[in-house]
Amino acid sequence: MMMMMNPDGASSSGSGKDGASHSSSSAPKKNSKKPIYSRFSQQELPACKPILTPGWVISTFLAVGILFIPIGLASLFASERVVEIMERYDHDCIPSNYTKNLLGYIQSTETNKTCVKKFTVPKQMKSPVFIYYQLDNFYQNHRRYVKSRSDKQLRSKAFEDKTESCKPEDTTNKSPIVPCGLIAWSLFNDTYRFSVKDSELNVTKKDIAWKSDQEHKFGSDVYPKNFQSSGLIGGAKLNASIPLSQQEDLIVWMRTAALPTFRKLYGKIEVDLEADDEVTVVIENNYNTYSFGGKKRLVLSTTSWIGGKNDFLGIAYITVGGICLFLAIAFILLYVINPRPLGDPSYLSWNKNPAGQMK
Amino acid sequence: MDSKRPTENSLNIESGTSRRGIATNSVREVNFGDHHHPRGTTAKHVRHGSRAGDSEAFSMSQREINDDDARLVYVNDPVKTNERFEFARNSIRTGKYSILTFLPRNLFEQFHRVAYIYFLVIAVLNQLPQLAVFGRGASILPLAFVLLVTTVKDAYEDYRRHRSDRIENNRLALVLVNNQFHSKRWKDIQVGEIIKIQANETLPCDIVLLSTSDPTGVAYVQTINLDGESNLKTRYAKQETLSKFPEKEKIGGLIRCEKPNRNIYGFQANLEIDGKKLSLGPSNVVLRGCELKNTVWAIGVAVYAGRETKAMLNSSGASCKRSRLESRMNFEIIILSMFLIALCTVVSVCAALWLRRHRHELDFLPFYRRKDYSEGKVKNYNYYGWGMEIFFTFLMSVIVFQIMIPISLYISMELIRVGQAYFMIGDTQLYDETSNSRFQCRALNINEDLGQIKYVFSDKTGTLTENKMEFQCASIGGVDYSGGKGITEKDHAGYSVQVDGIILRPKMRVNADPELQQLAKSRKDTIKCKQVHDFFLALAACNAIVPLVIDTPDPTVKLIDYQGESPDEQALVYAAATYGFMLVERTSGHIVIDIQGQRQRSRCSFTFLRYHAKIGVMILFITVTSFTTSGVCIHSFCRTSNNEESCIRSLQEATADMAKKLMAVSGVTYDTEVTSVASLTPAALIVDGTSLVYILDSELEEQLFELASKCCVVLCCRVAPLQKAGIVALVKNRTADMTLAIGDGANDVSMIQMADVGVGISGQEGRQAVMASDFAMGQYVLFTCFTLTTAITEWSSVLYSVLYTSLPTIVVGILDKNLSRRTLLKYPQLYGAGHRQECYNSKFFWLTMMDTVWQSLVAFFIPVFAYWGSNLDASSMGDLWTIAVVILVNLHLAMDVVRWTWITHAAIWGSIIATFICVTVIDAFPSLVGYWYAL
Repeated sequence: MMMMMNPDGASSSGSGKDGASHSSSSAPKKNSKKPIYSRFSQQELPACKPILTPGWVISTFLAVGILFIPIGLASLFASERVVEIMERYDHDCIPSNYTKNLLGYIQSTETNKTCVKKFTVPKQMKSPVFIYYQLDNFYQNHRRYVKSRSDKQLRSKAFEDKTESCKPEDTTNKSPIVPCGLIAWSLFNDTYRFSVKDSELNVTKKDIAWKSDQEHKFGSDVYPKNFQSSGLIGGAKLNASIPLSQQEDLIVWMRTAALPTFRKLYGKIEVDLEADDEVTVVIENNYNTYSFGGKKRLVLSTTSWIGGKNDFLGIAYITVGGICLFLAIAFILLYVINPRPLGDPSYLSWNKNPAGQMK
Repeated sequence: MDSKRPTENSLNIESGTSRRGIATNSVREVNFGDHHHPRGTTAKHVRHGSRAGDSEAFSMSQREINDDDARLVYVNDPVKTNERFEFARNSIRTGKYSILTFLPRNLFEQFHRVAYIYFLVIAVLNQLPQLAVFGRGASILPLAFVLLVTTVKDAYEDYRRHRSDRIENNRLALVLVNNQFHSKRWKDIQVGEIIKIQANETLPCDIVLLSTSDPTGVAYVQTINLDGESNLKTRYAKQETLSKFPEKEKIGGLIRCEKPNRNIYGFQANLEIDGKKLSLGPSNVVLRGCELKNTVWAIGVAVYAGRETKAMLNSSGASCKRSRLESRMNFEIIILSMFLIALCTVVSVCAALWLRRHRHELDFLPFYRRKDYSEGKVKNYNYYGWGMEIFFTFLMSVIVFQIMIPISLYISMELIRVGQAYFMIGDTQLYDETSNSRFQCRALNINEDLGQIKYVFSDKTGTLTENKMEFQCASIGGVDYSGGKGITEKDHAGYSVQVDGIILRPKMRVNADPELQQLAKSRKDTIKCKQVHDFFLALAACNAIVPLVIDTPDPTVKLIDYQGESPDEQALVYAAATYGFMLVERTSGHIVIDIQGQRQRSRCSFTFLRYHAKIGVMILFITVTSFTTSGVCIHSFCRTSNNEESCIRSLQEATADMAKKLMAVSGVTYDTEVTSVASLTPAALIVDGTSLVYILDSELEEQLFELASKCCVVLCCRVAPLQKAGIVALVKNRTADMTLAIGDGANDVSMIQMADVGVGISGQEGRQAVMASDFAMGQYVLFTCFTLTTAITEWSSVLYSVLYTSLPTIVVGILDKNLSRRTLLKYPQLYGAGHRQECYNSKFFWLTMMDTVWQSLVAFFIPVFAYWGSNLDASSMGDLWTIAVVILVNLHLAMDVVRWTWITHAAIWGSIIATFICVTVIDAFPSLVGYWYAL
């Protein structure tokens, strides 16, 4: 009996600190292994338990529907406002005597690669007008391709010899290629010149690459070396006196595309193009997509807040929103026609009579 | 006289065979044994379910044990005994591994997880230079880490087992060497040696008794470690060997006994000594693990040692339990692997088609470039021909898609279990005040099974009930003395006797009814008084209780502790003592009862039995209640005299007989014996150990299972440890349901190890059960409520990690490993959130699979269509997919969370935010390019 008194005394003095949350939890005895009480360790943390009541479900669907349909409409509208001109030229720019020998034409240094195309501007295009080249069927995301580069070499002169990952375009005569690798090697080399009403349009090639790439990923002290100098020529050559950080075409190209159909920024036209203007473009058709049946397109496009022309997003939003609205209405109807009390235990699986109705 | 007849009859019926056995065993028992031991021995025999064995032993003793089947033990001649066959030494090993075998065996066991093999294959594949997708070292690290943690854990557990083995093996026992008893380590004891055991010592091996300190050759042993019964049992030395003192004269002899077996209630042997041939039965052996009690010494010859002892044969060894979830997961991983193989096959077929279509262009293809022109000689670059290229594509896609079965899943599962164990250990409701013990989680890997249990096997005595019997009230001569409850503290001092200046007091106090006390004290010669006197005299005299005198700090006060076969007898004797009929001394020849201060030395004779029988009528309804502190089940016995006890026995016998006759054990409902909880059930089946001998391992098993599964409660009484395990196995093997076994004694160890989940209770019967169990607790405390609340979201959360974060990654193809692991980190907290009993089944699995495929299609294709033909670069797309998947997974998970605590909020939203941060950080550092691949 005396033994029992001591802990009791202790508990009365100690329970003040506890806030006396639980009368049953007396202060621990000496050497007691009694677990310490806390709301966390006893899994008694305050919690809310959301229950999917019809009200909640219907209002969620309604909210999603009401939110998504305007977004979809807005993006469709924005996409409509974007003016986009797309011209495929890989096929048209082959002289008729070479249609049977595409590879011969494109690989020969003798043939005339210049090609002229004309198109009319359908609507007014506010500046800046972005010029893209779009390639089809070009797997810039191919495993062999994607890995064939040396980020270290690109970033700093000190790592010029870091070319192991660049095979088979790593060295020439034991001397490292800068920039090495298949990506750089296959740099796009078609060029475009635009003119409207016989006056040349100025194409800005500045600021077409990411600022961060220019500043951090491509070194200002790294100069092209041994690039496209021997063996198989893959694409454009680089001016060896300009550091890589200024070679914006290369930087754009080196940011490999995610999908096999992609476009890359070529330049910008800083003036407005009026409706019905006839634009003449002189294309130097150098790049070999013929070996793998790739298509080449020239794209002129304005932008809006959703970017380029893209109806998919708007349609997707409207579809999802529409389905949600439909479901909301269907649930409302269901709820009105055949309401069911919440928490009816007869719907529990073990209360359902498998034989059918109970009499 | 009417009442006397059935008593005698039933006694005759039940003791018929066994008495015959005893008679052949020992002649000297007649005097004492006839009135006293028939009850004791029959109780023992029936309890052990070896009645049939007994009669067999009888017939066996007539027949020679065939020399080929027998083990020949030359008494006191270990050299000769071990000459022909080397019998097992007495050292034991419960550890699973030795230093040499540890690594291979442990690894072998660990690689039972299909997933580990899978990860090993992946890691090996990653070492091939042609295939290296991720860093080589990095691909091995996770697997190595998981293996290491498990290995260290197993090594520690096994070390502890080895340590306890060592302690056990190095215990000392007295062994006869050169006619002198010397201390010898247990492990050095050999079969054939003569061993001397002193009071309260544990037997080192199975011995045949030769002589004891008692002139009649009786030895009392406690078999708590064998069958969990804490009472004393009697064993006898043969009369022929009793008088021999091995120190003075050389004992020689030959014991022919059966080969080592598991039956702890059976033993057949004969002893050739001095030209005579004696048969030996189970009552002549004392088994390893028993403790000698109440006997100063006992001498015996070792017949079985070490791993051949019955105790060791009965412990089925530490088994490696794997949770249902884990075996289920193994199955699912196989499905996923097949899915993976199918996927990789599709990929390589596509790759083959593509290679074939472009076979003329490959040399120059800017994004493929088969030929290397950089040096003078044009050669293939990283191209090994058609077949190899397809093969490599296959292997590579295996590596790329390996995330389908994420190794982090296993790590997170381990974390979940640790977290669960933390909460289980910390639960105040699972804390036992009286024994000051917390819940112990001893096997981490089967936590989640707790929620899936369908069958519970529980040891009754000491587990469900505390096995405490207390005398409550009595009805004597038709008068009910249960009214008075007004006992003050003063009266409660209890009854005590003064002998030679020493006060003797019963150890346990019983609440006395004042009226009855008055009657017991009074010396009036009324009928009522006489009846009461007779009643208590019978209680005090007619039993098999052995009083033990215990010292107390006060030298003048001694306590009497009543030790006996059954706790109800104990309770009755305590009650008698409280009312002034104190059993003070019992020897083999006489008993001393102190009646209201007067000593009565009584020679136990047959008259007492008659007396007893006569009183039998009067002892109506001595209600003995067994208490359970848990309040789960109040198990009460209503006993009407001893007649009915024997009636019950004969009933059991009947069931056994029926079983013999190839009939299924009939369901007998004991309304008298099982009340309260059990009585609520429509049908209860009672099977006893004797019947189980015939049922288990025969075609009857099936019938028993069918019958048992129709009953709500099945009671198995007097069951051997291995039979307990057998019953568990019966259910476990025939159904897919989970089984749980609860027990507290060493006799429950096999059962605990056999069941899917074993729970040990650290109770009065030692700690063996706890050591073998997966979970241990102080008491049987509201176990049901506990099992429901844990193991909650396991299934689903695991599924989500398998499917949600992996299947999308297949399609996405670009998902940083760090991020996916980060996504998984939130699961450990989550289990605290759910209190559901969601059933997991294969339908759910496939539904989730389809759902996952659908979600991954959406997550993949919406960005693809949205950015088709745009100037989006690969890493931006990768980030977009990553974030999309993480948000999707978390939202999906959020939908399944039932209880939202702040931890859940933090985990889910925090995970999304963390992903954003990680993606940003990774993109900011060009060196951290983690996901440059795509096919």
